[in-house]
Amino acid sequence: MGKKILVVDDDPDLVDATSIILKSKNYEVSVAYDGVEGMEKARNEKPDLIVLDVMMPQKDGYTLCKELKADPDLRRIPVLLLTAVVDHIPTTRFTQQMGMETEADDFIDKPVEPQVLVERVEALLAKQ
Amino acid sequence: MSDQIKILVIDDELIMRDGCARILSRSGWTVITAENGHQGLDEIRRHPSEIDIILLDLMMPGMSGMETLERIREIDSNLLIVVITGYATVESAVAAMKKGAYDFTAKPFTPDQLRLVVQRALERRLLQKETDFLRRERERSLRDIATEKSKLKTIINCMGDGVLVCDSESCIALTNPAASRMLATPELQLSGRISSECNLPPELLKAIEKSLSTIEPGYVSMSQELCIGNAANLYLRAHTAPVHSDSGEIMGSVTVLQDISYLKELDKMKSDFIAMVAHELRAPIAAVEQQLNVILNKMTGEITEKQEQLLGRAKERTRGVLDLIRDLLDLSKIEAGKMVQYKESVSLHEVISRVVDVINIEAAAKNISLEFVSTAATPHINADRNNMEGILTNLISNAIKYTREGGSILVRLEDENSFVKISVTDTGIGIKQEDIPRIFDRFYRVKSSETRQIIGTGLGLSIVKSIVDAHLGSIMVESEEGEGTTFTILFPKEAEYAECAVDNGLN
Repeated sequence: MGKKILVVDDDPDLVDATSIILKSKNYEVSVAYDGVEGMEKARNEKPDLIVLDVMMPQKDGYTLCKELKADPDLRRIPVLLLTAVVDHIPTTRFTQQMGMETEADDFIDKPVEPQVLVERVEALLAKQ
Repeated sequence: MSDQIKILVIDDELIMRDGCARILSRSGWTVITAENGHQGLDEIRRHPSEIDIILLDLMMPGMSGMETLERIREIDSNLLIVVITGYATVESAVAAMKKGAYDFTAKPFTPDQLRLVVQRALERRLLQKETDFLRRERERSLRDIATEKSKLKTIINCMGDGVLVCDSESCIALTNPAASRMLATPELQLSGRISSECNLPPELLKAIEKSLSTIEPGYVSMSQELCIGNAANLYLRAHTAPVHSDSGEIMGSVTVLQDISYLKELDKMKSDFIAMVAHELRAPIAAVEQQLNVILNKMTGEITEKQEQLLGRAKERTRGVLDLIRDLLDLSKIEAGKMVQYKESVSLHEVISRVVDVINIEAAAKNISLEFVSTAATPHINADRNNMEGILTNLISNAIKYTREGGSILVRLEDENSFVKISVTDTGIGIKQEDIPRIFDRFYRVKSSETRQIIGTGLGLSIVKSIVDAHLGSIMVESEEGEGTTFTILFPKEAEYAECAVDNGLN
């Protein structure tokens, strides 16, 4: 496969866990710990998919997502937003709205079941 | 005021004075005598308003009877004077009466005649006294009322809360400076005006209208929050209630206004704080759960059965904490009155179907059958959709949690007159009778061997009840230990679907 995924999250443990999950499926993983670094790496490395945490200092996930989608070079990269809302019903109105507004391609609540993350990633990559 | 009758006898003849004194004192009256006009006047001046009757001889040397009469009348025109005339002199009697004498008696007179004429005058005198008494009493009462009224007005004017009283025609009868300040309208522009012309907030007008038109005497009061001003920096709480007369008629309405702006600010500060704390707590625990996920999914290598068991349990506990944080957040939202965010027309049929679809997986995992039966024709209510999904999810999840493998859960949706009825019945372990009254309390968890392993926050049902209450509904539970439990919720239908659209704003 050889697809490269960029993981942007300010929590090192989450970055680690997410990386382990993705690497176990043979994806190449690149990491960034804040929005600014994330934007840089996205530009430099042009990954096949970006997994973005919503809550981050300096530049939060929604803002970064908007910027990515506004950049003609990067717009085609699918973005998966990790949200921190924990509900039985997958999405609240707020999350839906924000997700839709920022044109993220998908969003999941964290903590996420590894299998679910893998499935969503595969689905997004297949669409390319 | 002495009750002794005092009679003043003015006559120049000693025989007359003594005679009258003797006759009259036999009737128990006190007699004072004077031998001429001057003395008589002195006596009167000495005993002001104590002398009841004056017997005045018209035939006197020196100051004549007539002159004395005139003088007496000058001092006090209320004094009752009976003139004693000489032989056959009706003209002088008439002249005296014209000058203000009350009655006359002619010499010679018998003791009985004298007593009679004095008695007649006394009757008049008593009436006079009574009238004076009543007049004084009335004046005092009126003064008291005026004092009370002005006391009341002073108190009302000093109140920190605003007062707005309307009469039955919706005309403002009473306001106070606090109300004027809160409504941002000078008192002069409120008092005496029809309420609808006073630029009052529309919700307040509606409440006043409603309170003036209620028919049922049971209607108590309506409480609501108003936001004043474009900057939305003034929040008021308004309590409006009708004022009934003793016979039950509506005399008007009274509204009390409280400034709750600082409360709102505090609320916001609290909510912001709680949201911040919740996030700070949630992030690290979510990270821990994620790490457990990774290990449990064997993405870091194989794990032993025991490791799997322990880590699985650890994951459940972290999930429990995350649920608790979520519930606490919900609770703080409820307390801030923010839980019910957005009411719209909601079809409970739709909501329940959606929830059942999602939860079916959980039920299937425990081999529990989950069925939804709807016989309601018009299951539409005015509600916050998220809240409805939330409570259904909670009740059905609970049912699954507390039902053993192979059990069954039935969710029913029915019409009940102007209400919609939702019931969730399970064949689970049931609830003990002694636990039932506390089941909706916060943090209350049933403690038994069967429930020990079940993870829960104890907040779910209290949140469900808060939401049901906020939607003017009711919830109840029936259960039998070992057999199962049924939760029943009633919600009032949306106005157009209700058979009897009586909204009394209470409950």
